Amino acid sequence: MWTRKAAFTFTGGIALILIGMMISNHQMMILGLAFIAFIVVNSWVSGHGDVEVQRTLSADNLYKGDDLYVELLVTNRSRRKTQQLEVYDNVPHEMKLRSGLNQMRLNLKPGESARIRYVLRCPLRGHYSVGPVSLRYRNTFNLSVDEMYVDHHSDIIIFPQIRDVEEAFIRSRTAKMYTGATTLRTPGPGTEFYSLREYVPGDPFKNINWKAFARTGELMINEKCRDAVTDLYIILDSRDIARIGTVLKNPLEMGTVAAASLASFFIQRRDSVSLTIYDEKLSFLPPDTGDKQYFKILSSLAGVAPRGTMPLQAVTNSLAARFSRGSPVFIISSCEGDGTVPSAVRDLVGRGHEVTVLSPSSIDFERLVSRIPRMSYEVLKIERQNRLTSLAGFGSQVIDWMPDMDLSQALLQVRGY
Amino acid sequence: MAGEVTPQGEGARSLHLRKLRVQWQIVTLQVLATLSLVWMYMEVVSTYVVGSIDHTQLFDTLESGLGTELPLGDWLTGGGNEGLARFYVPMGLGLGLGGAMALLAFQTPKFQQRVKLGFIIGLIAILAGRFVLGYAWQLVSDGWSAPGNNVLQLLEWPLLMMLSFIIMTFYLLPIITGTKGIWGLSRRGVAWSIGFTLLFLGVHAILTFPLIRSQLGSYGSQLTTLEIIVSEPTVFGLVTAQQFSLILIACLMMVFQESAFGVIRQLEYAYRLPESCKRDPEYVSQMDNLLNGHLRHTAIFLSLTVVATTIALGFHAVLLDWVNGITGSQWAAQVGESIELTLTYGLVISALLFLGIMALLRFIVPWQRFWGLIESSFTTRE
Repeated sequence: MWTRKAAFTFTGGIALILIGMMISNHQMMILGLAFIAFIVVNSWVSGHGDVEVQRTLSADNLYKGDDLYVELLVTNRSRRKTQQLEVYDNVPHEMKLRSGLNQMRLNLKPGESARIRYVLRCPLRGHYSVGPVSLRYRNTFNLSVDEMYVDHHSDIIIFPQIRDVEEAFIRSRTAKMYTGATTLRTPGPGTEFYSLREYVPGDPFKNINWKAFARTGELMINEKCRDAVTDLYIILDSRDIARIGTVLKNPLEMGTVAAASLASFFIQRRDSVSLTIYDEKLSFLPPDTGDKQYFKILSSLAGVAPRGTMPLQAVTNSLAARFSRGSPVFIISSCEGDGTVPSAVRDLVGRGHEVTVLSPSSIDFERLVSRIPRMSYEVLKIERQNRLTSLAGFGSQVIDWMPDMDLSQALLQVRGY
Repeated sequence: MAGEVTPQGEGARSLHLRKLRVQWQIVTLQVLATLSLVWMYMEVVSTYVVGSIDHTQLFDTLESGLGTELPLGDWLTGGGNEGLARFYVPMGLGLGLGGAMALLAFQTPKFQQRVKLGFIIGLIAILAGRFVLGYAWQLVSDGWSAPGNNVLQLLEWPLLMMLSFIIMTFYLLPIITGTKGIWGLSRRGVAWSIGFTLLFLGVHAILTFPLIRSQLGSYGSQLTTLEIIVSEPTVFGLVTAQQFSLILIACLMMVFQESAFGVIRQLEYAYRLPESCKRDPEYVSQMDNLLNGHLRHTAIFLSLTVVATTIALGFHAVLLDWVNGITGSQWAAQVGESIELTLTYGLVISALLFLGIMALLRFIVPWQRFWGLIESSFTTRE
């Protein structure tokens, strides 16, 4: 395709020839002819985008905020030069270039390769695709441009960040009925005796077995069987209302971080974790343990987007029967715009579940993006406090999670209203 | 696909402007642009200006009109020399001035401001310094009075000096702005240079149009017209020497423009690269490829443009020879003698016909494959 310069040169050439003919001026005619000859000569040779592209990523999945290293290998497989070729690797707009550049201007000889290396920062979770590779051939004198692309994609999943969660603050009231593949006979915090072992500096004195000490003369420690949580159910609110706030800080983002962190913590303890996400539809991941389940949970959380208005009651009504009796249930929701939350919590508590409501404070998120008058803010805050107090009144543990509060700090604040 | 990704490397060479500006390809392109600018200027001047409307003639006219010698010496203006020699010293001055302006453009803004301020103060001092001192002395010695004739005469020399410089600068504008554009990496400078040249050619073309020329009287008769119509083709048997000179002007203008703009374009690209890429050997090696390609294309394509234009201008004669050879009739000879053919229409139509055929050949002759074969035969595949 001709560029503006080529079009001007051609038009100028024709104009000069015509004017030259009108006023019988050879200089103008020759100048015009030279312009056109220049375009004709340049049209004989053009570049090409017949290149092989190979993209290597440093990882197929990453955690939010991590850096992704990308290497794009461009090889000219044809038997002639590419001429001036601009290679541009399309990256999702959510990702930011941290170092290097995702484009290069090159002129590859036959068989020659060039490597474009750059680093992307991934500030937002999600399922992304890097590519395709756009190519633009540009004539040396900028007279013609041809745009092509190589349909080469690399998929990547950005998981939510995993935060440290303090040692177990939650335990099942009911022993696990079917342990499945989970080995419960492992040492850890609990009540049942597991074995004796030698004292190691740092062990609490209350665990010293004094009888054994008297018998052997050496300090021995009582080790306990870890109390296993039966199954942990995480319910994440992904309704449209969860988008309140900024792109990086909103109830949904904090919720995904909390869900991922809790799942990580409990799966590392070899417990079974289930994830339910409700937005315009319900997505239920049955409880399971192990790395595979962990990956499934993180993948699900990576793809969560705010939409829909499904009430929590609908979720609990359809899933309560599938919840193991007495299992802890974690509800991560701002509890805004859903009048069925109290009744849903009441039902779950009534069924014997230990319910913990982790509620990101949507009013405070809204304050990050819009100015709320002080009086209105106070009123809304009181309304929210009342709502959470009523949830606590049904027997659940309620955590009011402020935007600037760390997850572990919030979880330690479990308090009865 | 996940795998081992090595971070960007660092080589001994980099694409920092300081280093890139002294790279041989860049310097070659700039020298090429300067040479073509000077050559083009000399061609234009020798074709249209020298002996017709050159600056020494204007100075002579001024001197005779004013009845006084202009302050600039003949050694500086080229007065007293013959032909193109009149322009050698002024051209050197123009190149020097353009180079100095380019050099100034790379200094700090503070330094630039000081130089400009110094220039203005110097100009004022030259223009009015002696006059102010003379007038002040007159006021002291004679009391309050208007400046006398002897004091006013002190203004004559600086004003004539300024006028001479302005005239010289006007004649040398393409050289000054062009040099500043090439070495100062200024697109505007290059564009002004080409613009001035085209403007001059345009104005000259209008003034030499017979109807207008006759209205100009004796001034019009001084203008050089190109008597190239009836001359015998001497260059490759296709075009006359004067026609070839005109072709050269057009092609040198393109060489100058493309080389100067090419340098600016590639340096702009290098400047915009992030720091890590400037040090990356991959980018450095590709920049070498780009610059080598640019140099090669400038040499090949613009030479071909000269050849194509030359053949195009002589194509009507070739066509007639063919027709004559094929048919053996007298028609071709009769047409060949037609003034209309050699003058404009036939010449232009046949030239465009030739260029049209050449453009269409692209779709018939596999240029791309042919070119690729040549290219790949010179390079080794990995």
